[in-house]
Amino acid sequence: MTEQRLKMGRRAFLKTSAAVAAFTIVPRHVLGGEGEIPPSETLGGALIGCGGRGGGTFGELGKNVRQLAMCDVRFVDKADNNLFYTDFRRVLERKDIDVVAIATPPHWHALISIAAMEAGKDVLCEKPMTRFIAEGRAVVDAERRYNRIFQVGTFGRYGAIKSDRSRLTHKIMRSGLLKNCQGVHIAKGGLKVAMWSGIVKAPPQPVPANLDWDMYCGPSPLRPYHPHRHGGTHRGYWDYEGGGLADMGQHHFDPIQWIYGKDDTSPVAIEAYAPPAHPECTAMWGWVELTYADGLTFVMDSREWGEPYSRKKDRDVGLEDLAEEDQKKVQETPDPEPFPTFPEAVKTRQKPGGHAEAAHRCATLLHLANIAIRIGRKLRYDPVKEQFIGDEEANRLAYLPMRAPWHL
Amino acid sequence: MEPREELLKRLVAEMPDPDERGMYCHIVVKDEKGPDGKRQFETKPIDKDKIEKAVAELQKRGPEAVVGLVGMLVEPLEGDDVQPIKAKYALHVLGLCASKMTGDDARRDYALALASQLGGERSKGAQRYILQELQAFGRKEVVATLGKLLTDADLCDAAAMALVAIRDGAVDPLRAALGHAKGACRLAVVQALGALADAGSAEALQKALGDTDREVRIAAGWGLANSGADAAAGALTKAADAAEGWERIQMTKACMLLSERLVARGKKDEAKAIYTHLRDTRKDPSESYVREAAEKALAAT
Repeated sequence: MTEQRLKMGRRAFLKTSAAVAAFTIVPRHVLGGEGEIPPSETLGGALIGCGGRGGGTFGELGKNVRQLAMCDVRFVDKADNNLFYTDFRRVLERKDIDVVAIATPPHWHALISIAAMEAGKDVLCEKPMTRFIAEGRAVVDAERRYNRIFQVGTFGRYGAIKSDRSRLTHKIMRSGLLKNCQGVHIAKGGLKVAMWSGIVKAPPQPVPANLDWDMYCGPSPLRPYHPHRHGGTHRGYWDYEGGGLADMGQHHFDPIQWIYGKDDTSPVAIEAYAPPAHPECTAMWGWVELTYADGLTFVMDSREWGEPYSRKKDRDVGLEDLAEEDQKKVQETPDPEPFPTFPEAVKTRQKPGGHAEAAHRCATLLHLANIAIRIGRKLRYDPVKEQFIGDEEANRLAYLPMRAPWHL
Repeated sequence: MEPREELLKRLVAEMPDPDERGMYCHIVVKDEKGPDGKRQFETKPIDKDKIEKAVAELQKRGPEAVVGLVGMLVEPLEGDDVQPIKAKYALHVLGLCASKMTGDDARRDYALALASQLGGERSKGAQRYILQELQAFGRKEVVATLGKLLTDADLCDAAAMALVAIRDGAVDPLRAALGHAKGACRLAVVQALGALADAGSAEALQKALGDTDREVRIAAGWGLANSGADAAAGALTKAADAAEGWERIQMTKACMLLSERLVARGKKDEAKAIYTHLRDTRKDPSESYVREAAEKALAAT
């Protein structure tokens, strides 16, 4: 039955099934009775990465999605390549999968998102969207190339757009009328620095029998196994994520980035205050200051190491920053339209709120911050070329080579 | 003058100890609970100034400090000795220090000193760590040494990744290795040439489209696309048409990517030919998205 379905494709299979079902007692869900979604509107879904966030991420795909496949590198003992998989490539080959939820650790986010879109699927991918900057651009390219829907798994901007104050700030920033932005946004604490640090003293241990460790490491170096390197605590390793800054940063800064109208650009100057970074493990840092070309400043102040940030104070952007005639122009500008949700975007083919470019630019904020921490010097960045200016070591962290056979 | 070995031990000892959790956080758990009934954590600060001062002293000893620190590495870790952990950290911070100095001499000396420890008696784990540091700090001066490791099954991945990061001068040792690297090493070399978009390897990569290893075929297809090798268009579309499943998806992507590279180089007719082929051959409903993508790209070209 499954093989037949795979060859026929979803719609053809459902059409045949419906014809057969007409000669039997037909269940409500087939007819699409009250409260039930008709088969013609039901999508085939897959969850790739079935850990702590898996169920929640899959739920965001929408009520009209049936879970047809679950994939996890810890399914070695139960993989049947029918419902349970260890290799996401087998999932993406299926023609009955329409949408994919990705809840793996971040070092797999870009690759699987891109591969899914290359296979014709729409994607909802957990945050942080990427592990390094060049991955984000590759995801944007795949979204455009294949006209797919991509949504990152953070939704704060959906709430931000409902706020009058946030919408006003957004309109001011997008108007082009504010010439010298004095805005400063400081994120104080909540970035889980110590909580999501890596173990520098980690002797290797035997690989659990149900875990495909090579597949888990994927594009990252194949390290000796240690349980701290996966299962939530993977956040403490540059190989897989970027500590608490990367884990929590996209939640915090995604709505902020939208509010300040920066979905299509990146900061040009980045400076961190931190001890010298460990080459493999994330650890303590103090603060990072990121400045855009128009003067807008974002600050990540960990409040977990060193003296708190004190160079600038929080400062909103408001109409008072504009000349009177410009204030009127902004107030007369229509409000932005509400963001389509992922299910709405899949149906209408409009971009959802957390589409690839916006999510990539937000993830870039986090990577710029982490690179400044790791390199230990002030950095300048070209947001158009997406390269650091005059810093080879920083650029090497913006585009990390991948272990074969994985590539963007 | 303090003997080198004693100096190194003394300066390495200045690096942070791992805390109770084995991390560089120094969370100290207090016995008393806070008003919320939860255990209290207090961070004993990592001393940035102390680390940087010690590493600056190491920097003054130049390459012998690098070699000495490499000698202290134990990779992978074993036992309770923290000196190897500290030596590993000190070696990396030394690289950061060298890369910050005016001019390129300090960084170059650091990289050459590291490279001098490859290929000999050092453990594979230690060599992998060296390759990781060269990925961060090495440049053209080390590519020849890295090239010698491309046929070492334990080190070829790390060597190839370091060469991709270095870029300048990296294609020569990769091309040289392509003829005799086997198995996983061959795949690493093919992929590295692809990542470097090496047009000079087009002929070899086109040959690799017929490799018995599926991953090599896919890496070769991607590499040809990345390099914008217009002469490979026919072979690439043929390979994509003949493939199934994951390989078909990836080869079709390579065709799309090649077309984009061709457009960027002003070769619109060649790009249109690929898009037209994809539009006209992807008739199965399951590949309608490819047809639509090709149509959209044709309209935009």
